[in-house]
Amino acid sequence: MKTLILIILGIVVAPFLGGLIAGLDRKITARFQSRFGPPIVQPFFDVAKLFGKVKVVNNFWQVFCAWIYVIAAALSVGLFFAQSDLLLIFFVQAIGAVFLVMGALSTPSPYSQVGAQRELIQILTYEPLIILVFVSIYLVTGSFRIDEILQYSQPLMHKLPLMFIVLGYALTIKLRKSPFDFSTSHHAHQELVKGVLTEFSGPYLGLIEIAHWYETILILGICALFWHTSFIGMVILLVTTYLAEILIDNTMARMTWRWMLGYVWSIGLAMSFVNLIWLYAG
Amino acid sequence: MLPMIIAIAILLPLVAAVACYFLRVSAIRSLIVLVTGVCVAIASLALFGQGSFTYSPGTAFGIGWDSIVTLADFVLLFVILYYAFRLKNQLIKIFAVLQIVPLAFFEFFMVDHAKEVPAFFADNLSLIMVAIISIVGSLICFFAIPYMKEHEEHLHLEKSRQPQFFFYLVLFIGAMNGLVLANNILWLYFFFEVTTFCSFMLIGHDQTEIAVKNATRALWLNSLGGVSFVFGMIYAYTVSGTLSLQEIIAAGPMAGAMLVPLGLLCLAGFTKAAQIPFQSWLLGAMVAPTPVSALLHSSTMVKAGVYIVLRLAPAYAGTFLSEGIALCGAFTFIACAAIAISQSNGKKVLAYSTISNLGLIICCAGINSPWSITAAIILIIFHAVSKALLFLCVGTIEHGIGSRNIEDMHGLYLKMPRTAIITIIGIMTMVLPPFGVLLGKWMAIESATGDMFVVTMLAMGSALSVIFWVRWAGILLTAPIRKGVPAEKQSILTRIPLTGLAAGSVILSLLSPVIYSSLIKPMIGKGFDISMGIFSTPAGVFAVYPIFIVLAAAFIYAWMETKKSSTEQNSATYMCGANVLDKDSQAFIGPMNQPVEISASNYYLEKVFGEDKLTVAVNFIAMFLIVLMLGGAL
Repeated sequence: MKTLILIILGIVVAPFLGGLIAGLDRKITARFQSRFGPPIVQPFFDVAKLFGKVKVVNNFWQVFCAWIYVIAAALSVGLFFAQSDLLLIFFVQAIGAVFLVMGALSTPSPYSQVGAQRELIQILTYEPLIILVFVSIYLVTGSFRIDEILQYSQPLMHKLPLMFIVLGYALTIKLRKSPFDFSTSHHAHQELVKGVLTEFSGPYLGLIEIAHWYETILILGICALFWHTSFIGMVILLVTTYLAEILIDNTMARMTWRWMLGYVWSIGLAMSFVNLIWLYAG
Repeated sequence: MLPMIIAIAILLPLVAAVACYFLRVSAIRSLIVLVTGVCVAIASLALFGQGSFTYSPGTAFGIGWDSIVTLADFVLLFVILYYAFRLKNQLIKIFAVLQIVPLAFFEFFMVDHAKEVPAFFADNLSLIMVAIISIVGSLICFFAIPYMKEHEEHLHLEKSRQPQFFFYLVLFIGAMNGLVLANNILWLYFFFEVTTFCSFMLIGHDQTEIAVKNATRALWLNSLGGVSFVFGMIYAYTVSGTLSLQEIIAAGPMAGAMLVPLGLLCLAGFTKAAQIPFQSWLLGAMVAPTPVSALLHSSTMVKAGVYIVLRLAPAYAGTFLSEGIALCGAFTFIACAAIAISQSNGKKVLAYSTISNLGLIICCAGINSPWSITAAIILIIFHAVSKALLFLCVGTIEHGIGSRNIEDMHGLYLKMPRTAIITIIGIMTMVLPPFGVLLGKWMAIESATGDMFVVTMLAMGSALSVIFWVRWAGILLTAPIRKGVPAEKQSILTRIPLTGLAAGSVILSLLSPVIYSSLIKPMIGKGFDISMGIFSTPAGVFAVYPIFIVLAAAFIYAWMETKKSSTEQNSATYMCGANVLDKDSQAFIGPMNQPVEISASNYYLEKVFGEDKLTVAVNFIAMFLIVLMLGGAL
C-alpha cells in the first residue's frame, strides 16, 4: 500500500517539480545573459498553450509514440519513488527514449530524421555510463534496489566521487544541454530546427515536454542517491549540480557527435575504471 | 510411452526427411512437413509431462543402437571426406581425417563397449531445448513451404530442388532433438556432426558460386569444432573412464586434469555458436534461403553450441576456465553488437545480433551462478522465438520489396503494414522490458557484478544493441500518412508462423515468472524469489506483471488516441517552407527552382564501428582470450 501511494505521489508531483526546475533554469539562464527572463511558471503556460492548439500530425504513429514516451517516463519515475531496482527503472525509461526516436523517424522530414539519428548516438553515449554508475552503486551497497541503497549508512559520494562526475556527463546529455545538445536544444539558433522534435506539434509536443520533466526528475533523483543520508546534503548536492549544468550549458558550444562519443566514453570509462578499482582494492 | 515420444522427436523427422526426398510431389511434401511438425511439437510438449528421465533404447533388428550410431558416424565422416575431395578443400580433408583416425582408434581400442551407458538423459534444460527446437523449428519449416515455392520462382529453376532442401531441413530438427537429449557422448558427437553436415548442405543449397564458397567455409570451421570435440571426448574418457555425459559432469574439474577436455568441448561449442573468431561461417550462412538462416540462428545449430557450454557449466564451476569463458562470451557480446551498428543489410544485422546474444549466453554460463544460469536459459528461450520471428520477417519483406537492405525499408508500413508491425513487435521484444530477452540481460548484468571487465562489457554491449534495433524499427514507419493503409495479403502458411511467433514472443514473456518457477528453479536451485510476477533478490527486482499490465494499458490507450487522430489535420512534412505544393510529393524547391526529392538515411557510424575496421582487431583479441581460457585450463 505504501508503495502504491509513493508511486502515485511520484507520478503526480514529478511533472510539477520538473516544470518548476525548467522555469528556474530559464530564469537563471536569462540572468546569466543579462536578460530579465520569463516568470518561473512560464513552462506551465507554454504547455497549457500547446494543449490548446489544433491537433496536426504528419504520420499518426507520432501520436502513438508521444503517448508511450510520456507514459514510460511517468512509469519510470513511479518505479523510482516505489524504490524499485535501478536497472529496471533505467530500462523502463529506455522505452520512452526509444519511442521518441521512433516517433521522430516516422516522418520523412530530414530534420526529424537527422535529429533521431543524433538522439540515438546520445543514447549510445549515456546508456553504458549510467549502467556503470548503477553497478558501482551496487558494489558499494550490495544492491540495485533503492530501498536497500537507502539503508546504507554513509553518503555514496564518499566512495564514488568519480562516478558522480560520470553521472554528470549523462545528466548533461539527458537534459540536452550544451555541449551535448545536438539532437535538439532549448535554444532557437541551432542548425537542425528542433531535431527530433521538429515534426511534433500542439498537444503532442506538450506531452513530450511533460515527459522531459519526468526524465529531469528521474536523473536528479539518481543524483540525489549520492547523498541520501541527510536532506540538507541532498539539496545542496542537487542545487550545485544543476547550477553547474546551467553554467556549462551557457559557456560551452555544441560539439559534433564524434567528439561526444569519443570524449564522453573515454573520460567516462577511464573515471569509472579508476573508481571501480578503488572499490575492488578497498 | 517414453520410447515412443523419443522416437517421434528424433526418428520421425528422419523418416519424414526421407519421404520428402523420394515423394516428389509438392502437395504430399507439404503435408508431410506439416504433419511431422505438428507431431514433433506435440511430442516435445508431452515430454514435459514425463519430466526428467534416463533412457536407453534396446536393439533394432538385433543390432545394438550403439553400433548403429557408430556405423552412421563413420559413414557421415566419410561422406564429409568425399565432399572435401569434391570441393578440393585441404582444410576439410585434414579435419575429417583428424576426426576419423582418432575416433576409430578410440572406438576400437579404448572404449570398453561392455559397459552400459544410458543413451539419453533429459533434465529441464534438455526438455526446454527440445520444445524450442520442435516448436520454433517446425514453424520455420511451415514458413519454408510457400517461401521455397516463391524462391524457386524467382530463380527460374527447371528442376525443383525442394526435395533435397526439405530433406535436410526436417532432418536437422531430428538431429538437434537427438543432440540435446543425448547422454552418451558418442551419440552427442554423432548428432553434432549431423548438424554440421546439414548446415553445410543447406547453406550451399542454391549452388551459386558464393553459396558453395560459404558452405565450404561453414564446413571447415565446424569440422575444426568437430576435431576439438573428438579430442576433448577422448581426453575426457581417459581421465574419467566414462562415456556418460552426466558422469563426466559429475566428475567435475578433478584438480585440473578434467579442465583440458572440458575446455576442448567448450571450444567445439564456440565454433558451433559462431563466437568470435569463428563468426565468419554464420555470416556467410546468410546467402542461404531465409528459412535456413532462421533455423540456424534461432532454434538449432548455434543453440547446440551454447547448449554444450551451458550443459558443461557445473563441471567447470569456480575454475579459471569458467572465468575465461565469461570473458570470451562478454567480448563477443560487445564486439558483435558494435559491428552490427555499421550494417545496413537486415540479415547481417540479425546475424551479428545473434552472435552477440550467444556471446551473452556463453558469458552467463561462464559466470556460473544460479542467477546467471537462469539468465542463460531465459535468453536461450526468448532469443529463439524473437530471432526466428525477425528472420522470417526479413524473408517476407525480401519477397515483398526485393531487398533485404534496411535503407530500402523506409516506409514499409505503407506497403506491408502487417509485416511491418510484426517486425516492430519482434524488435521490441529484443530490446525493451518487460520482454524476456531484456529480462535475461537484466539477470546477466546483475549476476556479472563480481567481474569488473565482464560487467563493463555487458553494460556497453547492451547500450550498443539498442541503437541498431531502434533505428530499424523507426524507419519501417517513415512516411507521411494521409489516409488509411490498404491491408496486406499474406498466404496462410506465412501468416501462421509470423503471427504465432509474434504472439509467442509476447505471451511467453508474460509467462516468464511461471517458466522460471516451474522449469528453471527445480533444476538449478533457487536464485530469485517470485511473488505476484515479480522477480526479486536482495540485490534487485524485476516486476514483470506490473510493468506488463501498465504497458499493455498504455499501448491500448495510445492506440485509441492514435485512432482518434485519423480525423485530425495532416501537416506537410517540414522543409523550411520550401515544399513543392503538390499534395502527394515529398520534395522541396531546390536550386534553379527545380524540385528535389527528399531522402534521408541512417547513420551507420562506419568510421567507428565498420566491419572492416573492427573485424581483424576483434578476431585477434578473441583468439588471445581463447588462448587465455584454454591456457588457464592447462
